[in-house]
Amino acid sequence: MGVRRILVTIVGIAQGAIGVLAGILACILYFNFFGVQTMLNVSTDLLPLYLLILGIFSFFSVINGFFLIHEGLE
Amino acid sequence: MATERKLGLIRAVIIGLGAAIGFEIFVLLDYAYFHLTGPSMVSALFLCGLINLLTMFSYSELSAAIPKVGGEYTYTKAAFGGLTAFMAGCLRWLASIFGAALAVIVFAQQLAYFFSIFVPVAQNFILFNTPLIVVIVIIILTALDVRGVREATTVIVIAFLAIFGFFVASGLLYGVTPPEVLPTPSFEGLSGFFAATAYTFTMFVGMRALVAAAPQIKDPGKNVPRALLLSTVLLIAFYCGIAYVIVGVVPFGNYDDPLLNLATGEIMGGIGALMLAIAGMVASVSSVSTAMMVQSSILGGMSRDGYLPKVLLKVHRRFETRYVAVISSSLFVILFSLTEAVEFLGYASSFASLLVFALVNLSLMKLREKEPHLKRPFKAPLYPFTPIAGIVMSLLLLTFPMLLRDVNAESALISGLGLMVLVLATYYLSMVGRYRLRVAVGGISLGMGVFMS
Repeated sequence: MGVRRILVTIVGIAQGAIGVLAGILACILYFNFFGVQTMLNVSTDLLPLYLLILGIFSFFSVINGFFLIHEGLE
Repeated sequence: MATERKLGLIRAVIIGLGAAIGFEIFVLLDYAYFHLTGPSMVSALFLCGLINLLTMFSYSELSAAIPKVGGEYTYTKAAFGGLTAFMAGCLRWLASIFGAALAVIVFAQQLAYFFSIFVPVAQNFILFNTPLIVVIVIIILTALDVRGVREATTVIVIAFLAIFGFFVASGLLYGVTPPEVLPTPSFEGLSGFFAATAYTFTMFVGMRALVAAAPQIKDPGKNVPRALLLSTVLLIAFYCGIAYVIVGVVPFGNYDDPLLNLATGEIMGGIGALMLAIAGMVASVSSVSTAMMVQSSILGGMSRDGYLPKVLLKVHRRFETRYVAVISSSLFVILFSLTEAVEFLGYASSFASLLVFALVNLSLMKLREKEPHLKRPFKAPLYPFTPIAGIVMSLLLLTFPMLLRDVNAESALISGLGLMVLVLATYYLSMVGRYRLRVAVGGISLGMGVFMS
């Protein structure tokens, strides 16, 4: 049982971190820091779509990460 | 344990008037007069009072039959159960949030006007820093509410009645130009007239506090309808008197100061304007304080029934108040008041109240059918015409501002619909349960991950 809890917590932290990173990537894309839009060859038309997908992924990843961490610590 | 019935007719009337007379008169008349209906705003207020009375009969019957705390939420729960009750509770909470946000803006306006009498430069400074004042006022009131501080409402009511009574008497003696109080095609016609009725409707809804006190009123079968009628007649006379004097004194034009302050300055001079600015500030503070109490009570009730997180029920160890509910509601009040969108907030507050009124009337009809033998110390007269008329009028008032293509009303309605979608989503999530929710979120997260890769 102890191993399962530790594993759940680790997966939760990893998923939460992935969610946060996806959110940061969305911000970097939106504000075009380091000329990232040109670097990744992102067209202006498709930018809102990428932001939306990244935003939703980030939101659900963070929420699921919290759920898993909560379950692991319960 | 049964509540002791100790309130007489006069005390009941004072409760009704005290709850209805508030900050709204300081802010809502401006838009109704200059943009919607002109001088016929006097008749619009009269109509507001009559429509309000229709639903107050339903409120009275329900409160006397179900003498429990919770108001609309309790009545709709008894009639329809779950979802409808949750929607009624959320709408009531939203109406209270919008009203409180509007009250804080009024406080800033009146503070600016107060200083403009002595130091004109200060007025611009205050108006420029309204967001800061808004945040400070809400933080102070939230702190006071968490500490459980309550104000002396009866004294405020009597002071208000005296100030406005003096205003109307002075105005009539001053000699007002008799205005055209019926709707005219030259302005926005009937659509504008009904839009003004919808916009100013929130000025009357506070009277439901009288109904909430019905379980404490002696001989409710006689005294509740009498108190309702008397309060409505007095309130209509009071508001129509003020509006009549205002439209008779202030001609059309572009003004920086609020309409009521302009009229008072014109009739009663500097001292009168000063007194009214103080009254405006007191009314706003009193309204925000009451709204916060109502908001924490509504959130607490829905949280107790499992629709909202239990954390909202947390009571402060020292001050014995629901501090989480008070603080979270205050954050919403700050958010909305920082918009400084007076017209939007006025419509939003009225629309939420009108929908709650429609739900209350529907609950009355459903309960008459569902529980015909329920003990009813007071029965709504002319049933079923009064609740049906209440529902029809509430829904009509919601539609007229749309016919006028009023941007503020449209924004309020669209925002309201968006918030209702959120409410339904919250209800669904609360019903789904934690385990299923976790599985669902995990599934969506996995699916999104696969899609992205």
